[in-house]
Amino acid sequence: MNGIIIGQYVPGDGFFYKVDPRSKIAAIFFLMIATFLLRDIYQVLGALIITLGLLAIGKISLIKVLKGLKPIFILLIFTFVFQILINRQGNILVDTNLSFTIFNILLVIIAFVIWRFLAKYKKYNFLLLLAFLIGSILIFINVNFDFAYNYQLTSFNLQIYEKGIEMSIFVVLRLLIIITLSTILTLTTKPTDLTQGLESLLSPLKKVGFNSEDFALIISISLRYIPTIFDEANKIMQAQASRGADFSEGKLKDKLKQVISLLIPMFIIAFMRSEELADAMESRNFVPGKARTRIHILNYSYRDVLVTAFTVIFFVVALLFRLNVLGY
Amino acid sequence: MGIRFNEVSHKYSSFSNVNTSAIYQVSLAIDAKDEFIALVGHTGSGKTTLAKHMNALIFPTAGNVEIFGKTITKKRNKDIKYNEIRQKVGLVFQFPEYQLFEETVLKDVMFGPLNFHIDKKEAERLAIDAIKLVGLDESYLNRNPYNLSGGEKKRASIAGILAMDPEILVLDEPTSGLDPAGKRVLMELFLDIYKTTNKTIIIITHDMDLVYEYFSRVVVMNEGKLVYDGTPEKLFKEHDLSKNHLDYPNTVKVLSHLNKTLNLNLNIYQKTAIDAIKEIEKAGKL
Repeated sequence: MNGIIIGQYVPGDGFFYKVDPRSKIAAIFFLMIATFLLRDIYQVLGALIITLGLLAIGKISLIKVLKGLKPIFILLIFTFVFQILINRQGNILVDTNLSFTIFNILLVIIAFVIWRFLAKYKKYNFLLLLAFLIGSILIFINVNFDFAYNYQLTSFNLQIYEKGIEMSIFVVLRLLIIITLSTILTLTTKPTDLTQGLESLLSPLKKVGFNSEDFALIISISLRYIPTIFDEANKIMQAQASRGADFSEGKLKDKLKQVISLLIPMFIIAFMRSEELADAMESRNFVPGKARTRIHILNYSYRDVLVTAFTVIFFVVALLFRLNVLGY
Repeated sequence: MGIRFNEVSHKYSSFSNVNTSAIYQVSLAIDAKDEFIALVGHTGSGKTTLAKHMNALIFPTAGNVEIFGKTITKKRNKDIKYNEIRQKVGLVFQFPEYQLFEETVLKDVMFGPLNFHIDKKEAERLAIDAIKLVGLDESYLNRNPYNLSGGEKKRASIAGILAMDPEILVLDEPTSGLDPAGKRVLMELFLDIYKTTNKTIIIITHDMDLVYEYFSRVVVMNEGKLVYDGTPEKLFKEHDLSKNHLDYPNTVKVLSHLNKTLNLNLNIYQKTAIDAIKEIEKAGKL
């Protein structure tokens, strides 16, 4: 439970730290739409280079952004493979038959065992995984004993097309751009600024009955209490563990019972806490919906003009590409 | 030997870069029987962290803890049954809200024994005994623990641990949040349990009056380090308590003030108010 960090904000003083959160949120929103307007791999590649340029301007280290990619790494690989297999346009590049016989399945199992044995070299974990995957595909393609033909279980015709590779790279690049953009926003903006910016951007919705101030308050309070709740869950777990309900031991039925022993106190404590918080806010004269002054007042500066101008240019260019006004 | 700390340090993983150990190189030995120990220290001095090490709820980041012959180190050891340790060393948490969850007091107190695979009837008997022992009568058995008052909740949570029949009992600030009379009743109860069963009882507290009156051994923590282990009397005589962010008991404060202002020669080391009054009467000033 330890080590859960809400928000990725890392204090710093790059260019984007000083940009007003409102223009940052709006800019990221429109840049993302613009990215989806692009239809061509070269355009997306250009957009990626521009995005990396933004990182350089903001003095944000690429490593931090790559770390942010970690959780969606599987998703990226999945999209990549899926696109390659599904798309059947353009020239055919690879056309082989994957045959699954008892013998090459055995070989793959042996390869798997060797891979697991090597897994203790954590440094090369990723390379080993790659080697294993490629190796097993090669085994399925190449190892085809004639005598084993009768033992064939099933076969699969692997066809990779030019367009498939192009599209898969295109989709992955597009995802990379979007994630990099959102990482720039979350790395350089405090959660409080983020909610304040959101509140300000959503304030026109007041006319249709949506109170953006309450919305922002709800978000910021929930963000602030997530670590507290985790802390409390930890304490409850320890209190129950000292009564013999160890969450890491026991049968499934016991574990279910133990989850109940965690959930009930958590709910009760959360309700107690929210009631106390409401009282504390009220005793400091907080009235929902009433106008309040702020400690930090958002201010636009020349940086916001730059960011907005960049966003408009980027968006318009993307739109022109989409409408085939610009082309090659 | 019950519990032995060998140069135990514990560092909580923190998000900030502040490198502070909750406890630092603590060495301490506690017998399995016949000890009545007070663990005192300012808030944040590492008392609770120390207590959590006593039944292997958290593991030391350096050093080791021996609990009834089992050595607890940094890594989780598959050969050690941690549940057994927790049954032998019962730890009562400071806030009963973290512990109570069943719909009746009886069921909640039975939760511990049932986890240790005690037969249901036997568990019920143990639970009823424990509930009576902490001074709640039978009308409480079927009440909802969340509808009890603060002191009653505390008693219920203590009963929940007592019902497990631990060999060593560790109580994290059992008297905090109670009224003065309730404090005394509870302390008498612990003293009674100690005297009748000879179980080792370790109590975390801030109240130096209680410490002086009831305890023969006191362990003082300051900023994560163990700074004193011995009798309360020696602590008050030889140590500057203000350095450890602690206060002298009221009897000592009053008597030493009288000595200073009235130029008397009273023995200031009196455990209770009554003893102090007697000492003053002896001097013939009342």
